[in-house]
Amino acid sequence: MLSNRRRLIVKTAVLTLVAAGASAGAAGLALLYGGWYNIGATAQHFPFVYTVLEEGMKYSVRRHAQDIKVPRLGGEQQLRLGAAVYRDKCAQCHGGPGFAQSTIGMSMQPIPGPLIDATQRWEARELYWVTKHGIKMSGMPAWEYHLREDELWAVVAFVTALPAMSARDYRAWTAPDAPQGGAK
Amino acid sequence: MKAAGLVLMLALAGCAPKRPPAGVQGDPERGKIALTQYACQSCHLVPGVPGSQVYVGRPLVGMAGRKVLAGGLPNDQANLARWIRDPQAIDPETAMPNMGVSERDALDMSAYLLSQ
Repeated sequence: MLSNRRRLIVKTAVLTLVAAGASAGAAGLALLYGGWYNIGATAQHFPFVYTVLEEGMKYSVRRHAQDIKVPRLGGEQQLRLGAAVYRDKCAQCHGGPGFAQSTIGMSMQPIPGPLIDATQRWEARELYWVTKHGIKMSGMPAWEYHLREDELWAVVAFVTALPAMSARDYRAWTAPDAPQGGAK
Repeated sequence: MKAAGLVLMLALAGCAPKRPPAGVQGDPERGKIALTQYACQSCHLVPGVPGSQVYVGRPLVGMAGRKVLAGGLPNDQANLARWIRDPQAIDPETAMPNMGVSERDALDMSAYLLSQ
Protein backbone atom coordinates (compact mmCIF):
# COMPACT_ATOMS: atom_id res chain seq x y z
CA MET A 1 0.00 0.00 0.00
CA LEU A 2 1.09 3.55 -0.64
CA SER A 3 1.82 5.73 2.29
CA ASN A 4 -0.43 8.71 2.84
CA ARG A 5 2.30 11.03 1.69
CA ARG A 6 2.85 9.10 -1.55
CA ARG A 7 -0.89 8.99 -2.15
CA LEU A 8 -1.10 12.75 -1.77
CA ILE A 9 1.72 13.27 -4.27
CA VAL A 10 0.13 10.97 -6.88
CA LYS A 11 -3.28 12.57 -6.35
CA THR A 12 -1.83 16.07 -6.74
CA ALA A 13 0.07 15.12 -9.89
CA VAL A 14 -2.97 13.49 -11.52
CA LEU A 15 -5.30 16.36 -10.61
CA THR A 16 -2.75 18.91 -11.90
CA LEU A 17 -2.48 17.08 -15.23
CA VAL A 18 -6.26 16.83 -15.56
CA ALA A 19 -6.70 20.51 -14.70
CA ALA A 20 -3.97 21.54 -17.16
CA GLY A 21 -5.48 19.37 -19.90
CA ALA A 22 -8.96 20.73 -19.26
CA SER A 23 -7.85 24.36 -19.30
CA ALA A 24 -5.76 23.82 -22.44
CA GLY A 25 -8.79 22.22 -24.10
CA ALA A 26 -11.02 25.10 -22.98
CA ALA A 27 -8.51 27.65 -24.30
CA GLY A 28 -8.36 25.78 -27.61
CA LEU A 29 -12.13 25.67 -27.94
CA ALA A 30 -12.38 29.36 -27.05
CA LEU A 31 -9.83 30.19 -29.75
CA LEU A 32 -11.63 27.98 -32.28
CA TYR A 33 -15.18 29.16 -31.65
CA GLY A 34 -14.31 32.70 -30.61
CA GLY A 35 -13.08 33.38 -34.15
CA TRP A 36 -10.02 35.24 -32.86
CA TYR A 37 -7.65 33.58 -35.27
CA ASN A 38 -7.37 35.86 -38.31
CA ILE A 39 -8.01 33.61 -41.30
CA GLY A 40 -7.48 36.52 -43.73
CA ALA A 41 -4.83 35.95 -46.39
CA THR A 42 -3.39 39.45 -45.94
CA ALA A 43 -2.22 38.46 -42.43
CA GLN A 44 1.12 36.65 -42.65
CA HIS A 45 2.01 33.60 -40.58
CA PHE A 46 4.39 33.91 -37.67
CA PRO A 47 7.81 33.07 -39.18
CA PHE A 48 8.06 30.01 -36.91
CA VAL A 49 4.69 28.65 -38.07
CA TYR A 50 5.61 29.22 -41.72
CA THR A 51 8.91 27.39 -41.32
CA VAL A 52 7.37 24.41 -39.52
CA LEU A 53 4.63 24.02 -42.16
CA GLU A 54 7.16 24.30 -44.98
CA GLU A 55 9.55 21.77 -43.42
CA GLY A 56 6.67 19.34 -42.92
CA MET A 57 5.69 19.69 -46.55
CA LYS A 58 9.28 19.11 -47.69
CA TYR A 59 9.73 15.86 -45.78
CA SER A 60 6.29 14.58 -46.73
CA VAL A 61 6.99 15.13 -50.43
CA ARG A 62 10.43 13.52 -50.12
CA ARG A 63 9.03 10.38 -48.54
CA HIS A 64 6.06 10.00 -50.85
CA ALA A 65 8.10 10.53 -54.00
CA GLN A 66 11.04 8.29 -53.07
CA ASP A 67 10.05 5.27 -55.19
CA ILE A 68 9.05 7.10 -58.36
CA LYS A 69 11.04 6.11 -61.46
CA VAL A 70 11.94 9.10 -63.62
CA PRO A 71 11.80 8.56 -67.39
CA ARG A 72 14.22 10.27 -69.77
CA LEU A 73 13.44 13.99 -69.73
CA GLY A 74 14.25 16.91 -71.99
CA GLY A 75 13.56 15.95 -75.60
CA GLU A 76 12.48 18.79 -77.90
CA GLN A 77 9.01 17.35 -78.42
CA GLN A 78 8.52 16.85 -74.70
CA LEU A 79 9.66 20.37 -73.86
CA ARG A 80 7.18 21.80 -76.37
CA LEU A 81 4.35 19.91 -74.75
CA GLY A 82 5.60 20.90 -71.29
CA ALA A 83 5.76 24.57 -72.30
CA ALA A 84 2.13 24.47 -73.40
CA VAL A 85 1.03 22.80 -70.18
CA TYR A 86 3.08 25.23 -68.10
CA ARG A 87 1.61 28.21 -69.92
CA ASP A 88 -1.97 26.94 -69.53
CA LYS A 89 -1.91 25.46 -66.01
CA CYS A 90 1.07 26.75 -64.01
CA ALA A 91 2.13 30.27 -65.03
CA GLN A 92 -1.07 31.88 -63.69
CA CYS A 93 0.08 31.21 -60.12
CA HIS A 94 3.85 30.59 -60.43
CA GLY A 95 4.87 33.08 -63.13
CA GLY A 96 8.00 32.47 -65.19
CA PRO A 97 11.22 34.22 -66.25
CA GLY A 98 10.11 37.83 -66.84
CA PHE A 99 6.48 36.72 -66.70
CA ALA A 100 4.24 37.81 -63.81
CA GLN A 101 1.70 35.47 -62.31
CA SER A 102 -1.89 36.70 -62.48
CA THR A 103 -3.47 38.49 -59.53
CA ILE A 104 -4.91 35.13 -58.45
CA GLY A 105 -1.42 33.82 -57.75
CA MET A 106 -0.01 37.08 -56.40
CA SER A 107 -2.18 37.36 -53.33
CA MET A 108 -2.44 33.73 -52.25
CA GLN A 109 -1.35 32.66 -48.78
CA PRO A 110 0.97 30.79 -48.81
CA ILE A 111 2.42 32.40 -51.90
CA PRO A 112 2.99 29.96 -54.79
CA GLY A 113 6.76 29.85 -55.08
CA PRO A 114 8.64 30.69 -58.26
CA LEU A 115 9.59 27.54 -60.20
CA ILE A 116 12.67 29.12 -61.76
CA ASP A 117 14.68 27.76 -58.83
CA ALA A 118 12.66 24.56 -58.39
CA THR A 119 15.56 22.27 -59.31
CA GLN A 120 17.53 23.63 -56.36
CA ARG A 121 14.76 22.51 -54.01
CA TRP A 122 13.30 19.40 -55.59
CA GLU A 123 14.28 16.29 -57.51
CA ALA A 124 12.38 15.60 -60.75
CA ARG A 125 10.42 12.76 -59.09
CA GLU A 126 9.34 15.16 -56.34
CA LEU A 127 8.19 17.79 -58.84
CA TYR A 128 6.19 15.04 -60.54
CA TRP A 129 4.62 13.96 -57.26
CA VAL A 130 3.68 17.52 -56.25
CA THR A 131 2.20 18.21 -59.69
CA LYS A 132 0.24 14.97 -59.68
CA HIS A 133 -1.07 15.06 -56.11
CA GLY A 134 -1.07 18.74 -55.19
CA ILE A 135 -0.38 20.10 -51.69
CA LYS A 136 -3.13 20.21 -49.08
CA MET A 137 -4.09 23.62 -47.65
CA SER A 138 -1.70 25.47 -49.94
CA GLY A 139 -3.83 26.07 -53.01
CA MET A 140 -1.65 23.75 -55.13
CA PRO A 141 -4.13 21.63 -57.09
CA ALA A 142 -3.69 17.96 -57.92
CA TRP A 143 -3.40 17.36 -61.66
CA GLU A 144 -3.64 13.57 -61.69
CA TYR A 145 -7.17 13.55 -63.11
CA HIS A 146 -6.71 16.57 -65.39
CA LEU A 147 -3.41 15.93 -67.15
CA ARG A 148 -2.19 12.83 -68.92
CA GLU A 149 0.85 10.96 -67.66
CA ASP A 150 3.00 12.25 -70.55
CA GLU A 151 1.80 15.81 -69.85
CA LEU A 152 2.80 15.51 -66.19
CA TRP A 153 6.32 14.41 -67.10
CA ALA A 154 6.51 17.00 -69.89
CA VAL A 155 5.75 19.85 -67.50
CA VAL A 156 8.32 18.48 -65.05
CA ALA A 157 10.85 18.47 -67.90
CA PHE A 158 9.96 22.07 -68.76
CA VAL A 159 10.29 23.18 -65.12
CA THR A 160 13.74 21.59 -64.90
CA ALA A 161 14.72 23.63 -67.98
CA LEU A 162 13.53 26.94 -66.44
CA PRO A 163 16.69 27.88 -64.49
CA ALA A 164 18.66 28.32 -67.72
CA MET A 165 15.86 30.09 -69.58
CA SER A 166 15.97 33.84 -70.31
CA ALA A 167 12.82 35.94 -70.34
CA ARG A 168 13.04 36.04 -74.13
CA ASP A 169 13.36 32.25 -74.47
CA TYR A 170 10.45 31.78 -72.07
CA ARG A 171 8.28 34.06 -74.20
CA ALA A 172 9.19 32.09 -77.31
CA TRP A 173 8.51 28.70 -75.72
CA THR A 174 5.14 29.76 -74.36
CA ALA A 175 3.94 31.89 -77.28
CA PRO A 176 0.25 31.17 -77.89
CA ASP A 177 0.69 30.68 -81.65
CA ALA A 178 3.70 28.35 -81.45
CA PRO A 179 2.97 24.74 -82.49
CA GLN A 180 1.82 23.08 -79.27
CA GLY A 181 3.10 26.15 -77.46
CA GLY A 182 6.71 25.37 -78.34
CA ALA A 183 9.37 27.51 -79.92
CA LYS A 184 11.51 27.31 -83.02
CA MET B 1 9.05 50.53 -10.84
CA LYS B 2 10.20 53.40 -13.03
CA ALA B 3 13.05 51.26 -14.37
CA ALA B 4 10.60 48.48 -15.28
CA GLY B 5 8.43 50.99 -17.12
CA LEU B 6 11.41 52.27 -19.05
CA VAL B 7 12.45 48.72 -20.00
CA LEU B 8 8.89 48.01 -21.18
CA MET B 9 8.83 51.18 -23.26
CA LEU B 10 12.15 50.29 -24.87
CA ALA B 11 10.94 46.76 -25.57
CA LEU B 12 7.77 48.09 -27.21
CA ALA B 13 9.80 50.61 -29.20
CA GLY B 14 11.83 47.68 -30.52
CA CYS B 15 8.65 46.11 -31.92
CA ALA B 16 7.45 49.25 -33.66
CA PRO B 17 8.43 49.68 -37.33
CA LYS B 18 11.60 51.63 -37.86
CA ARG B 19 11.19 55.23 -38.89
CA PRO B 20 11.87 55.85 -42.57
CA PRO B 21 14.85 58.09 -43.25
CA ALA B 22 14.17 61.79 -43.76
CA GLY B 23 12.64 62.68 -47.11
CA VAL B 24 11.01 59.27 -47.66
CA GLN B 25 7.35 59.60 -48.60
CA GLY B 26 4.52 57.10 -48.31
CA ASP B 27 3.24 54.73 -45.64
CA PRO B 28 5.74 51.99 -44.75
CA GLU B 29 3.18 49.99 -42.74
CA ARG B 30 0.83 49.81 -45.69
CA GLY B 31 3.77 49.13 -47.98
CA LYS B 32 4.76 46.06 -45.96
CA ILE B 33 1.36 44.48 -46.63
CA ALA B 34 1.39 45.65 -50.26
CA LEU B 35 4.72 43.84 -50.77
CA THR B 36 3.03 40.56 -49.86
CA GLN B 37 0.04 41.26 -52.10
CA TYR B 38 2.26 41.59 -55.17
CA ALA B 39 4.13 38.37 -54.33
CA CYS B 40 7.49 40.10 -53.74
CA GLN B 41 8.38 37.51 -51.08
CA SER B 42 7.90 34.67 -53.56
CA CYS B 43 11.27 35.60 -55.16
CA HIS B 44 12.94 37.98 -52.65
CA LEU B 45 13.84 37.68 -48.99
CA VAL B 46 11.98 40.67 -47.54
CA PRO B 47 12.95 41.82 -44.03
CA GLY B 48 10.04 41.39 -41.63
CA VAL B 49 8.03 39.19 -44.02
CA PRO B 50 7.97 35.44 -43.31
CA GLY B 51 8.67 33.25 -46.32
CA SER B 52 10.89 30.61 -47.87
CA GLN B 53 14.66 30.95 -48.32
CA VAL B 54 14.44 32.18 -51.91
CA TYR B 55 17.20 33.82 -53.90
CA VAL B 56 15.50 34.15 -57.30
CA GLY B 57 15.66 37.91 -56.81
CA ARG B 58 18.15 39.73 -54.60
CA PRO B 59 17.42 39.86 -50.87
CA LEU B 60 15.79 43.21 -50.10
CA VAL B 61 17.72 43.90 -46.91
CA GLY B 62 19.55 47.15 -46.32
CA MET B 63 17.95 48.91 -49.28
CA ALA B 64 18.51 52.33 -47.73
CA GLY B 65 22.26 51.78 -47.71
CA ARG B 66 22.65 50.83 -51.37
CA LYS B 67 24.25 53.15 -53.88
CA VAL B 68 22.65 51.71 -57.00
CA LEU B 69 19.60 49.67 -57.99
CA ALA B 70 19.31 47.06 -60.74
CA GLY B 71 23.00 47.25 -61.53
CA GLY B 72 23.29 50.95 -62.33
CA LEU B 73 20.31 53.08 -61.40
CA PRO B 74 21.08 55.64 -58.65
CA ASN B 75 19.28 54.51 -55.50
CA ASP B 76 16.61 56.96 -54.43
CA GLN B 77 12.94 56.52 -53.65
CA ALA B 78 11.70 57.73 -57.02
CA ASN B 79 13.94 55.28 -58.89
CA LEU B 80 13.07 52.42 -56.55
CA ALA B 81 9.35 53.02 -57.12
CA ARG B 82 9.99 53.28 -60.86
CA TRP B 83 11.85 49.95 -60.86
CA ILE B 84 9.07 48.28 -58.85
CA ARG B 85 6.42 49.52 -61.27
CA ASP B 86 8.14 48.84 -64.60
CA PRO B 87 11.44 46.96 -64.41
CA GLN B 88 11.48 46.32 -68.18
CA ALA B 89 11.60 50.06 -68.84
CA ILE B 90 14.96 50.11 -67.02
CA ASP B 91 16.32 46.68 -68.02
CA PRO B 92 14.42 45.01 -70.88
CA GLU B 93 16.07 41.64 -70.21
CA THR B 94 15.48 41.47 -66.47
CA ALA B 95 13.76 38.34 -65.16
CA MET B 96 11.76 40.47 -62.73
CA PRO B 97 8.25 40.74 -64.16
CA ASN B 98 6.07 43.81 -64.29
CA MET B 99 3.61 43.06 -61.49
CA GLY B 100 1.18 45.85 -62.38
CA VAL B 101 1.89 47.80 -59.19
CA SER B 102 -0.05 51.05 -58.78
CA GLU B 103 1.77 54.33 -58.15
CA ARG B 104 0.58 54.58 -54.55
CA ASP B 105 1.43 50.96 -53.75
CA ALA B 106 4.93 51.34 -55.24
CA LEU B 107 5.51 54.47 -53.14
CA ASP B 108 4.42 52.71 -49.95
CA MET B 109 6.47 49.59 -50.80
CA SER B 110 9.57 51.70 -51.41
CA ALA B 111 8.92 53.52 -48.13
CA TYR B 112 8.91 50.21 -46.28
CA LEU B 113 12.04 48.90 -48.00
CA LEU B 114 13.94 52.14 -47.37
CA SER B 115 13.02 52.10 -43.66
CA GLN B 116 14.38 48.58 -43.04
